[in-house]
Amino acid sequence: MTLNPYFEVLFTAVLTIGFIIVTSLGLGQLARFIARQVGASKRHQENTFTGYAFAAPWIVGFLIFVIVPLGYSFYWSFTDYRVTENTPPNWIGLDNYARLITNDPGFRSSIVNTLYLTAVGLPLMIAVALFLAVLLNQKTRGERVFRMAFYLPVILGFNTAVLLAWRLMLNTGTGIINQLIRALSTAFPPISYLNRGIIFVQELISALFLGISSGKFTLLNRVWEAGFPAANRVPMWVESPLWTKMSVVLLMIWGCGSMMLIFLSGLNNIPRELHDAADVDGANNWQHFWKISFPLLTPYVFYNLIVGLIACLQIFEPIYVLYRDSQPLVPSTISMVYYLWQASFRNFEIGYGSAISWVILLIIMAVTAIQFMIQKRWVNYDLY
Amino acid sequence: MRTKIFILLILTSVLFSACASPTPTQAPAEATTVPEPAAAEPVTLKIYLLDYTPDTIAWLKSDINPAFEAAHPGVTVEITEGSWSGWDTTFAGFFAAGEGPDIINLGSEMNTLYGPSLADMEQYLGAAAWPDISNFGPALENAKFEGKLRGLPIFTAPRYVFCRTDLAVGSLPPKNFADWVAFAKANTTIDAATNSLTQQALVPVDAGSMADWQWWLLVYYSLGGQLYKADGTPNFDSPEALATTQFMLDMRQATYGPAADAVGALPAGQGSVIDINDETAANNGAVCLAHSGWAAPAFDRPVWENISIEPFYGDPANFPNSKPVVLAFNDWLAVADYSKHKDLAADWLKMAFTKEANHKWNETMSLIPSRNDAQYGYVTDSPQLKKEAELASKYGVGFAGIAEAAKLSVIMQEALGKLITEELTPAEVNAQIQEQYLIALGK
Repeated sequence: MTLNPYFEVLFTAVLTIGFIIVTSLGLGQLARFIARQVGASKRHQENTFTGYAFAAPWIVGFLIFVIVPLGYSFYWSFTDYRVTENTPPNWIGLDNYARLITNDPGFRSSIVNTLYLTAVGLPLMIAVALFLAVLLNQKTRGERVFRMAFYLPVILGFNTAVLLAWRLMLNTGTGIINQLIRALSTAFPPISYLNRGIIFVQELISALFLGISSGKFTLLNRVWEAGFPAANRVPMWVESPLWTKMSVVLLMIWGCGSMMLIFLSGLNNIPRELHDAADVDGANNWQHFWKISFPLLTPYVFYNLIVGLIACLQIFEPIYVLYRDSQPLVPSTISMVYYLWQASFRNFEIGYGSAISWVILLIIMAVTAIQFMIQKRWVNYDLY
Repeated sequence: MRTKIFILLILTSVLFSACASPTPTQAPAEATTVPEPAAAEPVTLKIYLLDYTPDTIAWLKSDINPAFEAAHPGVTVEITEGSWSGWDTTFAGFFAAGEGPDIINLGSEMNTLYGPSLADMEQYLGAAAWPDISNFGPALENAKFEGKLRGLPIFTAPRYVFCRTDLAVGSLPPKNFADWVAFAKANTTIDAATNSLTQQALVPVDAGSMADWQWWLLVYYSLGGQLYKADGTPNFDSPEALATTQFMLDMRQATYGPAADAVGALPAGQGSVIDINDETAANNGAVCLAHSGWAAPAFDRPVWENISIEPFYGDPANFPNSKPVVLAFNDWLAVADYSKHKDLAADWLKMAFTKEANHKWNETMSLIPSRNDAQYGYVTDSPQLKKEAELASKYGVGFAGIAEAAKLSVIMQEALGKLITEELTPAEVNAQIQEQYLIALGK
């Protein structure tokens, strides 16, 4: 007999609450039993029971919603599980990993693209966030409004309206960004040279990365042969494979409000006396920043670097919102996680997607570990 | 010690969960053999539709569903509205859980991807069970997998070549590749100040790259190209495939110039690219548009006086097997294999796909009904739709039967992306597609 759907929901809710109570008490009892086995006092046993019983809802949730899916993902990574095949997963051992590492040019490209976004995008993001933090650390009228304005993109995220606005702003011919560049280039000729120089360097770097991912450097040669860009050149943003990744970097920079806040709190933590002493010694603003502020901000830089690095290596949203239409431009910018999404939710190869996710995890762990090893050389913890 | 034991516990549970048997991907075999509940028992038939107009949904809820519910006491029809944006993730959830809507909305090329997870509906919708099926046009093929019906097509939406006769320099329509390239050069203008297009001779799917995989397939089919050889291997190493890729490059260069010129695309505007802006009276920028009817101006726009509708003619000068082609896309409703109410789903489909219902469903969207006998009234009254329907029945080639369509799209987009930057030659592009598609097909 089919149940009333409302009754089913109610029944499920009651069952869930019952499950939480039973597992909480069960986990508490188990913890008490273990405490007894290791010879703990009666009071300690009771405390253990209470502690684990109260922590149990979170622990059980963690086990069910994190550890169990993690386990399934790990298991599926050794299978040929495909959602649409209507067949159970078959164990295929390390085949997915072997295919991923030796026979998947798409995944290699996604690694190179992610490397570009990390190597080019992350330093720019940190630099802009630091610059904004220093500016907004000044005691000026309306500083709170500016702080809010720069943090607003973090709250807005990448919704449809934001996507549409960015696509319009990035239009090569009529977008406001290129209109500004054109206006400034016309009004101030040195800016025209600067703009063309940036275009040339950016296109060379981008062509180099595209060459690394495809194994052919034809495009790099073509950019080099084309030489210094003509006077009417503007960035091709979402229209050229040479600019697709830089468009994503722009969106990343736009969302640097969180980093800015961290830097702001760091700047506020620097003792005023240090700057006063520097003033007595006749230090200028530049020296204030590089000799006092920046060295003492290095723990914050390190934090932003680690968090930003992990975020960059997992980048998905900006690419998804800008290039969802799967145009021929998309492959020039897809990241590792976008590739994982493609494998899992476009091709429905859950087994292969799971293998990709575990490889990404290993890459992130390796890069983060390297960062932690290197940090001893440049992070200054003297103040803390 | 306690910490160690606790960690040991967690690790053990991880181990158990990793070794646990996987979630079944389909309803257990018994589920399909369980007798349908008696008519008096409450049953909800769930239908998942993607991006239909409010008028269509309102009509389904006010006409079709009440009629169906009256004919099936105890059955409630529940329509959920989704969007083509994000549908794939949602559908993956349905099939992974083996639970979800009984009837789902799919696109043309999805029959091969979802086929194994869709119900064989021959016993309910085949000619023996439902004589009306003979009234469906070629779009019905898109609703089959391994020769068996999995659902019914709603409409057919072919891709035509719409051209502005008042703007075009040279004769219309170009009927071979050389004429198209000459046409592109003569009808494209670039503003030197902004280094961007102000007029584009031909806007195919993805105006910027002019090398989208769907456009490639349309051109390829027009040369008489077949996607697969007799042994099932892909045919991207054929002369037709090479000519198609070369045509993509020639047209792109005739429009944008060499890649190094870095010419910007047409500005994003409002309305169809072959329409006229009401406020400024300026043209939106395209002379010809190779796209579905929905990308063309609304039928009541005055600009239609100067718009021709044609198929794409291929290149008969160099390929004698060339034929005029309109690439036919369609939406269809499929019944999921996990559905426990396949007979009810079939009954609902029969009710929503009668001659009158299929006509009404499409009337709200001005699309061509998939049933031949439903193409009356607004279809024949509108000169544009009448012409489109004629071309579709004469030159329609289905966008279906593509094995591993999602993978092929990625493979082709990647290779064609390198074509427009001149990173790869047309021959290298085709070789890359052939090689990677062979791997994707497991051959």
